[in-house]
Amino acid sequence: MTSTAGVRASPSLPTTQNSASTTSDVTAHKQWHRYTPSQESSVSLTATLSQPSSRAASHRYSNPSQDHTQWQKQRRPVRSQYPADSTEKHVEYILVASFDIDRGSVMEHQYPGPVGGDEHMLAELMLPDQTHLRQQDWTIFFLHKDADEETPRHKQRRKLRENGGDEENGYDDDDDDDEYLDGPPLVYVLNLVNTKQDNTVKRGAVVKAMAVCTRHPFLHIYKPLLLLALEQYFANPTVPTLANLYNAVNNMDISLMPRLSSFERSIMQSTEAKDLFLERFEAMVSQRMADTNGKPLPLTAPSPGAPSAGRGYGLPKDTHEFESVVHYANVPVPIKIPTALSPETVGNFSLVKLITTFSTPHATNPQPFSPLHPHLTTAGATTHPIMVLLNALLTQKRVIFLGHNLPSSEVAEAVLGACALTSGGLLRGFTRHAFPYTDLTKIDDLLQVPGFIAGVTNPAFAHKTEWWDVLCDLPTGRIRISNRIEAPPINEGTAFFQGAIGAANGSNGSGVNAAAGSDPTGDAAFMSSVLASIQERHGENAIRVKFRRWVVKFTSLAAAFEETVYGASSLQAHKDHSAYGSAENDLHPDVSGHGYVWPTQQAKIVELAANANRIEGWRNTRSYYNFIQDLASHYARQPVKSIDLQYLHDKLAKLRLTTEQSAHIYLAFASVVHTRAEISQLLSVVALGPSGLFFIAQGLFHPRLNVREETCALLERICDHDAGRYFWTALGRFIQMGFDRVKNTRDARTGDGSDKT
Amino acid sequence: MGGSISKMMAKIFGSKEMRLLMLGLDAAGKTTILYKLKLDTDVTTIPTVGFNVETVTYKNTKFNVWDVGGQDKIRPLWRHYYSGTQGLIFVIDSNDRDRIEEARTELGRIIGDREMKDALLLVFANKQDIPGAMKPNEVSDALDLNNTARNHIWKVEPSCATSGEGIFEGLHWLSNNVKLPPK
Repeated sequence: MTSTAGVRASPSLPTTQNSASTTSDVTAHKQWHRYTPSQESSVSLTATLSQPSSRAASHRYSNPSQDHTQWQKQRRPVRSQYPADSTEKHVEYILVASFDIDRGSVMEHQYPGPVGGDEHMLAELMLPDQTHLRQQDWTIFFLHKDADEETPRHKQRRKLRENGGDEENGYDDDDDDDEYLDGPPLVYVLNLVNTKQDNTVKRGAVVKAMAVCTRHPFLHIYKPLLLLALEQYFANPTVPTLANLYNAVNNMDISLMPRLSSFERSIMQSTEAKDLFLERFEAMVSQRMADTNGKPLPLTAPSPGAPSAGRGYGLPKDTHEFESVVHYANVPVPIKIPTALSPETVGNFSLVKLITTFSTPHATNPQPFSPLHPHLTTAGATTHPIMVLLNALLTQKRVIFLGHNLPSSEVAEAVLGACALTSGGLLRGFTRHAFPYTDLTKIDDLLQVPGFIAGVTNPAFAHKTEWWDVLCDLPTGRIRISNRIEAPPINEGTAFFQGAIGAANGSNGSGVNAAAGSDPTGDAAFMSSVLASIQERHGENAIRVKFRRWVVKFTSLAAAFEETVYGASSLQAHKDHSAYGSAENDLHPDVSGHGYVWPTQQAKIVELAANANRIEGWRNTRSYYNFIQDLASHYARQPVKSIDLQYLHDKLAKLRLTTEQSAHIYLAFASVVHTRAEISQLLSVVALGPSGLFFIAQGLFHPRLNVREETCALLERICDHDAGRYFWTALGRFIQMGFDRVKNTRDARTGDGSDKT
Repeated sequence: MGGSISKMMAKIFGSKEMRLLMLGLDAAGKTTILYKLKLDTDVTTIPTVGFNVETVTYKNTKFNVWDVGGQDKIRPLWRHYYSGTQGLIFVIDSNDRDRIEEARTELGRIIGDREMKDALLLVFANKQDIPGAMKPNEVSDALDLNNTARNHIWKVEPSCATSGEGIFEGLHWLSNNVKLPPK
């Protein structure tokens, strides 16, 4: 069950996989060379790129159905996201700074040792502008620590990998390590600053700040602890106060949080069910009990009144969050950690709040953008401000959030929200260039960073239009485009589509704006659906899922755009079939396509033309190149490679197909989706759409018997999957009855369902 | 449209806008002056972390006053506030004879900057209520204004931020001497 899985695999399969993934690696390399990274090291990139292919060859797909039943019956060991024996600390440093009336911001203590870098600059970040005007403020900032040395976790993983038959192969997670393609994880710093009026000291006040430095993106969990600890520090400003906090947070036990594969994470993010993957949590607990000689502990959910004291093995009320307790200063502080984190999601922010801030003034008193910019104002002067913001991040503009007279925590949250919004959990490279809170002292460094996203409270930034491309003013909810923004270069893509659109609708060739009023990008409709969702209180997660869909669509459009204009695209992980032409993979033309599905060629041209400018703006950005890398490594690890599940699903959903065409698609699904990992991949596709398994289950009503029965068998496998049954339940009575009918007919014919091989 | 109307009104009624930058060594009284101007009350201030900015309207002139923290470590930041500044208010603690030399150096650095070449210079010889405070002419001599500020229109105004004495006189002088930038 460990490394034998790889050995058992049929000999032909790994070979093809290997060559396929190598091909995509090569294309990614080519793309990469056109980009000259200024900060990231291309050396490390090359190294990490080559790993997935070799790993993919060494394990994964064994015989499909076997794998599936094994999981059901035997319970493979479930890995912990944060193993108890990990050398990685939850919190690496605790810092204390204060504002000295003679010297300005100074660092008082760093525990357990200096974090490194410019101590004075750190202290300035810890004491945000205008702290003297409020009693309490939170800031967040990131440290790009040890950019050229590896973290322990990194090292450990690499060692495992180098040892070849590593223990990871014992787990059937289809992925996964989030490789740090662009360097080690950032150090996230959460900082609390307090100003206390005190008449006994010179000039009447004491300003002190305490910060925790962690590599976990869920740094907001430390808020209650910092509140307690800073209070303690005011009373007792010594190093042991820091040490107590350090020890308390590092004793936090979150080792019972199971690790999810990337598909499972994305299923979880787009599914509200509160007991999704609860089995994994149970498995973690029983594994732990077996390890600790089975001291029986009751499996009770912690009641809200009494947080499961200490090491009680409680199961979460909602599996989206893992609950634990930190004991600090005789206070049991309950904390909740998100189980499925997306990349670029740091801290707790609210997209609802961010969107509302910039939508309300636009709705009540719209002000046209001036100047216009092809990358930004994709629907002309009245483009929705949130779309301008999204476009700005996509096309790597310099974006500043200004919150004069607001706590710096508000600008930080806006910055983090904007990063997550544009990432959609898919694109990366925003938080790494984000400065959730910064001030004038760092301006010279900031201006060295191409396409930063920064939060400031100093209105001096507004006057300096040469410092930014897009300024988002939080108090007024207005977004401005700098009059000194650089014009985009002329490119092949937009020229291509100017001709095409001109020919298509006989306009004067002025491109996108020719179709003004009709919303060719669909952005206006998208934003109204987002705002309607907010109005109807669908919640933060619903909004995040919507933007995830938008970003997924955008990347598919970009892939189609590149294939149309340039003949090929590295945004399309599906290999071309010439490189993959073994007999069993000679796919029927009905199932061999890939990418985004349009009902008509005309619709495709119009949509691509409308997006041409920002797609061209996105190409050559960090997030674009990161995405190509991610696709290549993700593709190497994904179980279903022969067909594009998303494409086939969308064909069923969007196109009017003949009986023959749809039969091919249903049968393709049934023939490639068997293992747990394969089902996870399929579910991650349908989870993102609004209709779940609906279009796949339609195969139950297909005129052809074998299609109905194969679909029925596929759905049976899905029902056995620990997330699949939620999608099954969501299908509704009508489809379930169809399922029963097909199943009963089949069982009657074959005598007994269980005999069926 | 709205903007151009208010500009027209400004011409008719002679109201104008002026961007002021208030600098000085730490604890000179900058923030106290700012809030005296803004609120006309004596507020107890604590050291400024970063900056304060307030808009004050006085005799048809809208003053946009920036007050930036004065600790020596953060003085290099002052330059970021120069561009667009029409008047510099430099605040001196008239009792701090030990640091008047330091103040002179800082002032020379500010008004020597290219971006400040057209700015008016108003020096508040602050804390006049304390016995033994330097008189305005002593301050101008100590700062060597005849030399360092020879390319600027300047004035030293004796002031007491807590009582408000001299503060509005200073503003009045600024508003009378400001050259309206071509609109």
